[in-house]
Amino acid sequence: MPGDAGMGDMADLNERALAKYRNDFLREVEERVDEGHWVKMCMQCGVCAGSCPFGPHWEHSPPKIFLMIRAGKREAVLTSDSMWMCTSCYNCVVRCPRKLPITTIMHGLATYAQRLGLAPKVQPTRDFSIIFWENFTRTGRANEMRLMLRLWFKEGFAAGVKKALSMRDLGLAMLRTKRMSPLEILGGHGVKDVKGFQAMIRKAKEIEDRRRGLSG
Amino acid sequence: MTPSVATSQTILVVGGGISGMTAALEAAECGKQVVLVEKSATLGGRTATLYRYFPKLCHPTCGLEINLRRIKASRNIRVMTLAEVTKIAGSRGGYTVTLKIAPRYVNANCTACGACAEAVSAEIPNPWDYGLGRMKAAYLPHTMAYPQRYVIDPAIVGTAEGEKAKAACRYGAIDLGMREETLELEAGAIVWATGWKPYDAAKIQPYGYGRFPNVITSVEFERLADPHGPTGGKLLRPSDGKEAKNVAFVQCAGSRDENHLRHCSRICCMASLKQTQYVREAFAEDARSTVYYIDIRAIDRFEDFYAKVRKDATVTFVKSKVARIAEDAATRDPILHGVDTEGYRRYANRHDLVVLAIGMEPSVKAADIPADVVADSSGFIDAGAESAVFGAGCATNALDVNRAVQSATAATLRAIQVVNRAARAEA
Amino acid sequence: MADTKIAAYICRGCGLGERLSTGQLAKIAEKEGKAAIVREHDFLCSEAGVQLIRDDIEKQGATHVAIAACSRRAKTEAFHFPTVAVSRANLREGVIWCQPDTDAAREATQEMADDYVRMACDELKRMKVPAGNPDAARLRRLLVVGGGVSGMTAALEASKAGYAVTIVEKSGALGGWAAKLWKRTPAHEPFREPADTGVAALVAAVEADPNITVRLASVIARTSGAPGRFSVDIAAESGATATEAFGAIVQATGFTPYDAAKLPELGFGRSPNVVDQAGLEALARAAAAKGGPIRRPSDGGEVKTVVFVQCAGQRDDSGRHLPYCSGHCCATSIKQAMYFKDANPAVDTVVLYTDLRVPGNGEDFYRSGQSKGVVFSKGQVSAVEPSGDACTVRFRDLILDEDTAIENADLVVLATGQVPNAGVDIDQVPQDEPGQWRPDSRSVLNLAYRQGKDLPLLRHGFSDSHFICFPYETRRTGIYTAGPVRRPMDIAQAVEDATGAALKAIQAIENAAAGRAAHPRSGDLSFPIVRLEGCTQCKRCTVECPFGAIDEDEKRYPVFNESRCRRCGTCMGACPVRVIAFENYSVDTVGAQLKAVEIPDEFAEKPRILVLACENDAYPALDMAGMQRRVYSAFVRVIPVRCLGSVNTIWISDALNRGYDGVMLMGCKHGDDYQCHFVKGSELANYRMSKIDDTLKQMALETERVASYEVAITDIERLPRLIDEYAAKIGEIGLSPLKGFG
Repeated sequence: MPGDAGMGDMADLNERALAKYRNDFLREVEERVDEGHWVKMCMQCGVCAGSCPFGPHWEHSPPKIFLMIRAGKREAVLTSDSMWMCTSCYNCVVRCPRKLPITTIMHGLATYAQRLGLAPKVQPTRDFSIIFWENFTRTGRANEMRLMLRLWFKEGFAAGVKKALSMRDLGLAMLRTKRMSPLEILGGHGVKDVKGFQAMIRKAKEIEDRRRGLSG
Repeated sequence: MTPSVATSQTILVVGGGISGMTAALEAAECGKQVVLVEKSATLGGRTATLYRYFPKLCHPTCGLEINLRRIKASRNIRVMTLAEVTKIAGSRGGYTVTLKIAPRYVNANCTACGACAEAVSAEIPNPWDYGLGRMKAAYLPHTMAYPQRYVIDPAIVGTAEGEKAKAACRYGAIDLGMREETLELEAGAIVWATGWKPYDAAKIQPYGYGRFPNVITSVEFERLADPHGPTGGKLLRPSDGKEAKNVAFVQCAGSRDENHLRHCSRICCMASLKQTQYVREAFAEDARSTVYYIDIRAIDRFEDFYAKVRKDATVTFVKSKVARIAEDAATRDPILHGVDTEGYRRYANRHDLVVLAIGMEPSVKAADIPADVVADSSGFIDAGAESAVFGAGCATNALDVNRAVQSATAATLRAIQVVNRAARAEA
Repeated sequence: MADTKIAAYICRGCGLGERLSTGQLAKIAEKEGKAAIVREHDFLCSEAGVQLIRDDIEKQGATHVAIAACSRRAKTEAFHFPTVAVSRANLREGVIWCQPDTDAAREATQEMADDYVRMACDELKRMKVPAGNPDAARLRRLLVVGGGVSGMTAALEASKAGYAVTIVEKSGALGGWAAKLWKRTPAHEPFREPADTGVAALVAAVEADPNITVRLASVIARTSGAPGRFSVDIAAESGATATEAFGAIVQATGFTPYDAAKLPELGFGRSPNVVDQAGLEALARAAAAKGGPIRRPSDGGEVKTVVFVQCAGQRDDSGRHLPYCSGHCCATSIKQAMYFKDANPAVDTVVLYTDLRVPGNGEDFYRSGQSKGVVFSKGQVSAVEPSGDACTVRFRDLILDEDTAIENADLVVLATGQVPNAGVDIDQVPQDEPGQWRPDSRSVLNLAYRQGKDLPLLRHGFSDSHFICFPYETRRTGIYTAGPVRRPMDIAQAVEDATGAALKAIQAIENAAAGRAAHPRSGDLSFPIVRLEGCTQCKRCTVECPFGAIDEDEKRYPVFNESRCRRCGTCMGACPVRVIAFENYSVDTVGAQLKAVEIPDEFAEKPRILVLACENDAYPALDMAGMQRRVYSAFVRVIPVRCLGSVNTIWISDALNRGYDGVMLMGCKHGDDYQCHFVKGSELANYRMSKIDDTLKQMALETERVASYEVAITDIERLPRLIDEYAAKIGEIGLSPLKGFG
């Protein structure tokens, strides 16, 4: 998961994956990516790519990614920012004539790329994911106020102020309707047993890694 | 066609389309007694509604004429229209079949003079045109209809219109008191040839069929091209009657899709290739056809036809399952959205008309046949049951005409084997 | 014709009584038509009307019946009187429905009707009820040539229907190509796994069937005769020849895989690791026999990567290889890839295709292949380069739009096509002269037929069969092809095809026994009768018969084989001395009709145009034009003909000599996409008519006076237009100068 493995660890993981699967990227995806075993079922009809509301923004559309996986284009796939474009609208999933869980596969690929340290360094979805993860694993609750501020100000103070001003109507409305509390900035509330929660997350990750052959 | 007493040596053929007619004729011309039952008011089936056949671009009615002539000449075939099988009892070699016969309100006196239709002014949607056109409520289904006998639509029975039709007939052919009848007959073997129906295009929601008037199905396009269809053979689009010169053909509309039909319907690629030539026939070099496809399945000798169409400069191929169809509100032009997977190029293409190459599903799902048959996962009849109910034609698989006829001929022999065995046992 | 008694019936129903003077028609039938009985009736097709006719036949001894009512296509069952000759004057669709109901039109309409009554009566005088074929024979034994799946299926299915069968198989064993397979593609749910070929069970069933005789290592040395009475010499490899008699023949001689040696660019012949699909089956069988995986042929090494190249030497537009698709190969490659995947999922299998063609439930098999990890890439293979024990497969990836390659392929499987075993091409190999006939070792059937030793071939060398509506109709009655010799196909389709072919063979036997014609004139009992004393041995009939029904004896006289004949009348049309006739259709029956028409003199300003219309398409189209009340010129007189091929040019010269102003010939489309139900009839007619100009010049007539049209049954709107345009043209060039001389 983002943020909790050092760079060295990631590079190491990547090398080990390379060594293990040699050129068989498809098998690597099948074993290590959520729902990766569906990739082979794609018949290149392209309906998912055409159905995607974000389609024009993908460098490689889902069927192309599937084909690149089968063609062993590991580096190009894992370093691509395409999977990060997925907004989980599920248009592709309901249309796929082979019923591929495309959304899950895209997130799985993104997660795997992040895990190996291959994900693009500047990518808003990735940034958000990292910020969100760090935000909510700290206390076990998502802290909208802090999440918002970190997002707004990640590109500098001036950009943050500008962004905040542009969205002030929405922010005030949320405050008015108690969808957001300004007091949250002070740390906000958390789950009762934060330590226990964090241990749980760690354990889950350990199990997940073992299952995917990512540990040790 | 002659009345015959059905016995255990009779072969019952269910369905009067190309497969059923073939089965009935092949059996009759081997000297067997046949009862041919058809649900609608005429023989001919779906092929009678097609303008041309691939790959020769010849006319289905040409073969229909020969088959009807053979039926008229045969003393061994009894044709029953408006008849449905409701029950099959018994077993191989000895079936008792229950038929439900809907009233035609016209008896054998009818000379097909057409006076009733002239007298009536009420109109109904023409089912042989998929409702694209309308016809009189006293009608001959089409010019090749057999029996050549008018039908009074139940909608005008009991109305003044019905009485007008009756009054116009000078031959006592109209009997508005006809009732639905049930009858039983014996048969040694049954050939089940109830054919196919187009998949419900409205279920493919992103294509807008039913919402956008200029999105139609391939079977409807056949009616537009047919000189006896609702537009007199002119390719005019439904929204505004404008000539449809730029036509999109969308393959796998329902087929090869686990959300719809899991099988490949086999004929749709060829049907679209054929239909590109209708556009060409109508508009020559001004024609523009675009075929959106996953794989072009121009199998075996049909490859020649594909090769010919590929050389036609008015036809373009895009390897893509169309994602969705939008409509330009002002012009009602359909706009196709998707990605050409050869190079992953995104497109938003405007056309005059979209023809969905609609998939085939069995008219009667095998599970709904009141007999011991084995169904495959698409509802077609799979061989293998112990019964003497033999599937033929598109009731068994998605088939083109040639293969349907082959299948019907094979089914006929299987039926003959049963009745011949019965005959030998009795001898 | 001493006992000819004509009865004529004039119907007054459907408006005929209002639109026409039926009394005048009755008078014409009596006076000119010499009808002994003439009756008018208000509703002739009613039970009472039909009974009236029946009574006249049974009690009054009517032998010839003229029915002046609706078209012959209407009320056919009601007016069915098989014991007498029947002629139908088409007054409804052909007169009142295609003429305007106006005072101005009344006279011309009546004249049309008058003429059709005259024509019906005069036709009758030349007609006889067919007596049936004196040579009818009924041998209830079928010959099946070829002992593969198609042949064995045909034999077993025919046997189950109670017919005896002899299978002649060239090789030393039954089984054919299917016996060389390890597994077959599935034909039943769930369409996921390769299935047992079933060949062993088929062979066992054939061997156990007392109705089936198998002759292995044997070929056909000679086939003569006709349905119901084929005589076949079966030559064994041992040299012994037996002559046996059969009622009908199924030719199931299968295919040969396309010669992969013609594909060196795909590596075949350059490395043992490049095989065709048949080669892979052999490897799979060998491996299964040893109980191990398929090994690399070159060194017995482990197979880690297999590449399947689809359409190898198929769908080729260069003219060097097969232009067609063999249909089964995509599924076969999926099946073969499964051989590897099922044994060891770690083996890489890649199928390179341009269009993956797995119709119907084949889609499930494709899905199954994918789920087993077979990789499918849309790619055009440019080269297979063997190097040591590995091959590099170079291809254009059509999806990623780039040139790429698979290196280190241990095995490359080329999906080559099916080449039919259809014997000799009779258009290329002429038949031996009578008396010098010798068998040809390349031939399958060694027919002693005048037109050649095998069935005619279609494009790409497959045996003849009708392509769409009537797949079993060959141009050699009683001989039916089944399986890949007819069309590329897989096992499942071959089984259906063979079953259908067996039915047709059985039907041919039953038809021959009853002397009945086969499709499309099913049930017709007439057959060509030749007056040999007038024959000039010109051979046109024997050459032109579309069905090869006519042989020649040693003096070059035609020998008709009735049960091979389809009754199209092409021979009759071809005969320059007019010695060929059917009892119910002849030069005389048509000649009498066209002569019966009253030709108004040149001052009447009423042209007469003779229309000879094919009864299969043009005539129904005219009928339907009438049904739709489409109006056309009242100057035409239409005579239906069995096929334009049956049109004898004497009819045209007779018509013109009698003062007709024009002749329109309406037949079906000819050429590659012909629509003629007798295959060559319309083409032959077209050829004959191309020479009619000379005749017209000799008669000092304009060439426009004879016009040929290709007509389809759907030309309901076009035909009236054509007729009116032609009538207008006749108006322009003026009336025939020959009026009054005929």
